[in-house]
Amino acid sequence: MSRSPFAPNAEADESAMLDAVGVSDVEELFDIPEKDRFDGEFDIEARSEPEVKALVSDMLAENDDLTEFMGRGYYDHYVPSVVDRLSMRSEFLTSYTQYQPEVTQGFLQALFEYQSILVELTGLPVANASMYDTASGLAEAALLASRIRQADGTVVLIPDYVRGDRVSVLENYIAGHDIQIERFATDDGTAGLDALEAAIDDETLMVYVESPTTRGTIEEHLEAIGDFAHDHDAMFTVGSDPVAMAILEAPGDLGADVVVGEAVLGMPNAYGMGLGIFATRDDYLRHVPGRLIGIGDDQDGNRAFTLTLQTREQHIRRERATSNICTNQAWVALRMAMHASQLGPDGLTDLATEMVELPRQLAGELDELPGIEAPVHDRHHFREFVARTDEPAESIVDELESAGFAVQAVDEHELQFTVTETNQHAIPDLVAAVEEVVA
Amino acid sequence: MRHYDQATFSEDDSPVYERLLSEKFGTEVAVEDTPLPDELTRDTLELPAPAEPELSRHYVRLSQQNYAVETGPYPLGSCTMKYNPPFTEDVAADPSGMVHPDRSAESVQGNLELLYQLQEYLAEIGGMADVTLQPPAGAAGEFTGNRIAAAYHEAHDEGHRSEVVVPDTAHGTNPASAAMAGYDVVEIPSGEDGRVDLEALEAAVGEDTALFMLTNPNTLGLFERDIEEIAEVVHEAGGLVYYDGANLNALLGRARPGDMGYDIMHYNVHKTFATPHGGGGPGAGPVGVVDELTDFLPNPQVDKQGEDFELVEPEQTIGKVHDFKGNWLVLIKAMAYIARLGDSGLCDTSASAVLNANYLAEQIDLEIPFDPFHHEFVASAGDLDASNMAKRMLDFGVHPPTTKWPEIVSQALMTEPTEAESKQSLDQLADAFNGAFNAGDEELSSAPHRTTARRIDQADAARNPRLSWHALDDE
Amino acid sequence: MSFDIPDNLYYTESHEWVDPETGKIGLTDFAQDELGDIVFVEFPGVGDHLETDSELGVVESIKAVSDVYSPVSGAVTDVNETLEGEPELLNEDPYGDGWLVELDLDSTDEVEALLTPDEYETHL
Repeated sequence: MSRSPFAPNAEADESAMLDAVGVSDVEELFDIPEKDRFDGEFDIEARSEPEVKALVSDMLAENDDLTEFMGRGYYDHYVPSVVDRLSMRSEFLTSYTQYQPEVTQGFLQALFEYQSILVELTGLPVANASMYDTASGLAEAALLASRIRQADGTVVLIPDYVRGDRVSVLENYIAGHDIQIERFATDDGTAGLDALEAAIDDETLMVYVESPTTRGTIEEHLEAIGDFAHDHDAMFTVGSDPVAMAILEAPGDLGADVVVGEAVLGMPNAYGMGLGIFATRDDYLRHVPGRLIGIGDDQDGNRAFTLTLQTREQHIRRERATSNICTNQAWVALRMAMHASQLGPDGLTDLATEMVELPRQLAGELDELPGIEAPVHDRHHFREFVARTDEPAESIVDELESAGFAVQAVDEHELQFTVTETNQHAIPDLVAAVEEVVA
Repeated sequence: MRHYDQATFSEDDSPVYERLLSEKFGTEVAVEDTPLPDELTRDTLELPAPAEPELSRHYVRLSQQNYAVETGPYPLGSCTMKYNPPFTEDVAADPSGMVHPDRSAESVQGNLELLYQLQEYLAEIGGMADVTLQPPAGAAGEFTGNRIAAAYHEAHDEGHRSEVVVPDTAHGTNPASAAMAGYDVVEIPSGEDGRVDLEALEAAVGEDTALFMLTNPNTLGLFERDIEEIAEVVHEAGGLVYYDGANLNALLGRARPGDMGYDIMHYNVHKTFATPHGGGGPGAGPVGVVDELTDFLPNPQVDKQGEDFELVEPEQTIGKVHDFKGNWLVLIKAMAYIARLGDSGLCDTSASAVLNANYLAEQIDLEIPFDPFHHEFVASAGDLDASNMAKRMLDFGVHPPTTKWPEIVSQALMTEPTEAESKQSLDQLADAFNGAFNAGDEELSSAPHRTTARRIDQADAARNPRLSWHALDDE
Repeated sequence: MSFDIPDNLYYTESHEWVDPETGKIGLTDFAQDELGDIVFVEFPGVGDHLETDSELGVVESIKAVSDVYSPVSGAVTDVNETLEGEPELLNEDPYGDGWLVELDLDSTDEVEALLTPDEYETHL
C-alpha cells in the first residue's frame, strides 16, 4: 500500500506504534465485520502534485473565455491582492470554529469586526457571523418570523422579481412548516404597492423585498412597504448588499426587521460561492440563527472575544435550535471585512456611486441601438438593468456567446446586463457586438 | 515537557491585545453628490479606513493570535482537523474556473467536467448511485437528505411519516436538521456497549418513521456491527436510513455506507477530503443517494452525454438548496485531494488515522470506557472538569479535544488526532493530556496562562451581549 | 457540599420549590449550582393558567438549556422580571430575589403533596 503524502509517520515509527498498541498489523484495529468490508477498488489513480494541477487546469481550460455581463444576485467586484495574501495565512485558513476562544482571539476579533461592519451598513444592531447565501438567509428569516409568531399569519409575501432559484430554496426550508409563499406583482420593476396592499392581510407572516432587486432596480418605497407589513404585525425582511448599502439609506432605519443578502465584497466570481449576510433587531437576538461573536472580559480583566449565546445553536439545543447551521462561511466573512476596510468608507461609497452610474451609461448606449430598448424600467438602477429586445432574447444570448459575451435572458424578449468595475472596460466591445446581433 | 506561549501584543497603556479597526482607523464620511435622489441615500457612513500597510499589520497580528492546524495538533473529535495541502489552493485559484454561476452549460464545460468527476468519485467512495454537490455544508447536506426522504415518502403516498429517529449520541446537527425539515425527533438511548440498541430501535420505529440517522463508526469511534440488521429494522418499518458522513474518514477504502444498507448520506469534505475549515467555513456537504432516490436530488445535476456535460433537472427534484451551485472553491479542493491520493492514499488515510488514535489512547492516563474505537475515542476526565482540563492543555501548546460530549461518557474528552500527526506530535499531545490530568485543582481552574487571552467570562458575555463595536460606544 | 433548604417551602425531585403561602415558585440552591451561571430566563405570560407538569419557563446557562415544569397548577399572577436584566440573582439568591413566577394556586393540597424539606434533603 502506498502512503498518503499527508500522513507523516515513517515505517519505524509505525512499527513502534503498533507495538505500543499491541497489534502486528493496523488492519487488526478495524472492527468491521467481514460482510461489511469493501473489497473492491475505487479505480482512482494516485497522481503527483503537478499531475493533479495539470489535470484540473486542463479541465478548466475547457471553459469558454467569455466576458461576462451577468448578475442577478451574484456579482464580480475586484478583490485587492492584500485580501488574498492576508486571508490565505494558514493561521486563518486552517483553523476551526473558535470553541477555545483563549487561543483564537485573532479570528474572533476579525469576525467581530465583520459583524460590526454589517451593523453599520444595515442599520440593525445584531449581525451574525454569516449564512451560506441570500437564499438561506431569507429562509431563516421566514422561520424566525414563524417562531416568533407575533402575527397569526402563515403567508410569506414575495414580489415576482425575486430570483426563481432563491424562491426554490425558500420552498425547501418552509416545506415542513406551516408557512406558504405568495408572490405579488411588481410595478415597473419594483414592488407594486397596490398589489402588496391587495395581498397583505392578517394571514401575512412576513413581507420580503429587495433593494437593489434581482432586476437591478432600487426600491423607492421601503418605508411604506415596512409600514404595510407592521400594520399587520408581519415581519419585514429586506434583501440588499454591502456595496449598495454604502450609499442607500440603511434598511434598518427604514423599518426592516431583518436584512439578508450576498456579501459581494471579499469574494470574486467563484461560480456562486459567496456569503449570506443576516442582521436583525435586538428583540430577536435569542432567535437569531448561526454564530454570534461577543465580548467578555478575561481573568486578567482584558477585553476578549468569544462565541456567545451558543444555547441557540444545534450543538446545545439540538432539535429546538434556532437553526441547524454549524459550518458557515466564516473565511469569506474574514475576507469581506478585509475588503471593506481596504476600501474604507470613501472607497466603498465611490464604488457604490459607480454602480449607479455604470448601468445608466451602458443602458444609454444600448438604447441608441435599433431593436433594443434599455432600461425597461423607469427606475434608478444598481449594477444591472433589464433591456427589451425585438428579437427573441435567447437567440441574442446565443449569438453574443459566439461573439465572446455572456449575458442573461430573463424573459422571451428581455435581456439583463450587469456592469461593474471588472467589466466596464469591455462596454464598447459589448455594445458593438449587440449592435451586430440585433441589427 | 514542552510549553508554548501564544502571541499577545498587549499594549502597556491598554488592557487590550490588539485594538479594534474602528478604534484605530474609524472614519466617518458624508454621503453626498451621489447620482441618486437624497431621500434614497444615507447621510453618513462610518467605517475603518486603514492605509493598506496598516491593514496588513492588523490582520497579520490577528493571525498570530490564532491557533490552526499548521500551528499544532488539533484533535477535536468529530470535527476532524487534518492537514490541508496547499496545492489544493493553487488548483482552486485557477482563474479559468472563476465564472458566473448562471453561465450556459455549453460555455462552462470545464467546471461541469470537474463537478461530474467529483460526483463520480464520491459515489464510488460511498457506494452510492449518484451525488449532489449543491449543499454548502454538512448540516445543509443533512437537511437536503431529510428533504429527499420527505419527497420520496410523499411520492409513495407515505407523506404522513412524521418522525426522524436519532441515537442519543447523534451530532446536534442531526436532530436540528430533521426539525428544520419539519420532522418530530425521536431520540433512542444507546445500548450498554455504546452502540445502537436494536430493541430500543425496534420499539421506536414504525409507520410514522421517515428516517433513521446514524454515523458509523459512531460518536464513540465504535463500528456499528449490527448495521445491516439496523437498516433492515428501519426498512421493514418503511423508513429510510441516513449516514452522517462525519466519520467516513475512518472507513475510506474499507467499507462503504451504500453497501451496509444506508440509503442517503452526506460527505463532510473538510473532514474526509482535507479542505480547510477557514475558521468556521465554508465547507461543502455533498449528498449521495441509492438508485431509488436519484430522481429526488436537487436541481440541477451534472450529467454526461457522449463527450458533453449537461445540467439536468432530476424528474422529481426537491428543487434547490443553494442560491447557485454550492461552494465551488471547496469542491475543487476536495476533487484535487482525491485525485492526488487515489485508492491507495485514501486507504492509507483511514489506516493512519485509526493507528494514531489507538496509539495516542495507549499513551494517556485517562480511562476510555468504550472500545474498540477507530479514528477517535472518548476519554473520561474522571473527577476532573473536562473543560478545565482542556484549558490547561492549551498551555502545553496543543488544542484540546471536544469537551463534555457525548454525554454517555462523564466529563468526556472526545479525541481525534487524524492521520496528519506524527508519532512525535502524538507524544506531545499525550504529555499535554497527562500533564493536565495530573495537575492540581488550582492549576486547572486558573488555566490557561500562556495564551493570548486568559479564561474568558462566558456568563458576562451572554448576560450583556456586546456584538459590535457600536455596543462599545457607551463604555 | 451542603445546600440551603429552607423549612417553609415544598420541593420537587426535579429541584423546584413552591411557597405555599405566596404561591411563588423557583429553583433550589442545588439546581442553580448544577446549572452554573444562569444567563437567561424565559417566563410564561401573566394570566396564563398552568397545569401541573406544563412548561413554566426556560432557564439557560452558558452551555445548557433547561425547561422548567410547573409542579402545581394555578394562574400566573406575576413573573420575576428583574431576572431578565439580572439573571445572576437566580444563582445568588435562589429562594429570595431569584424566584421565577407567582401562581394563584388551584389547591394547597397539591402543594402539600410535594416533598417536605426533609424528604428533599434525603432525595439529594
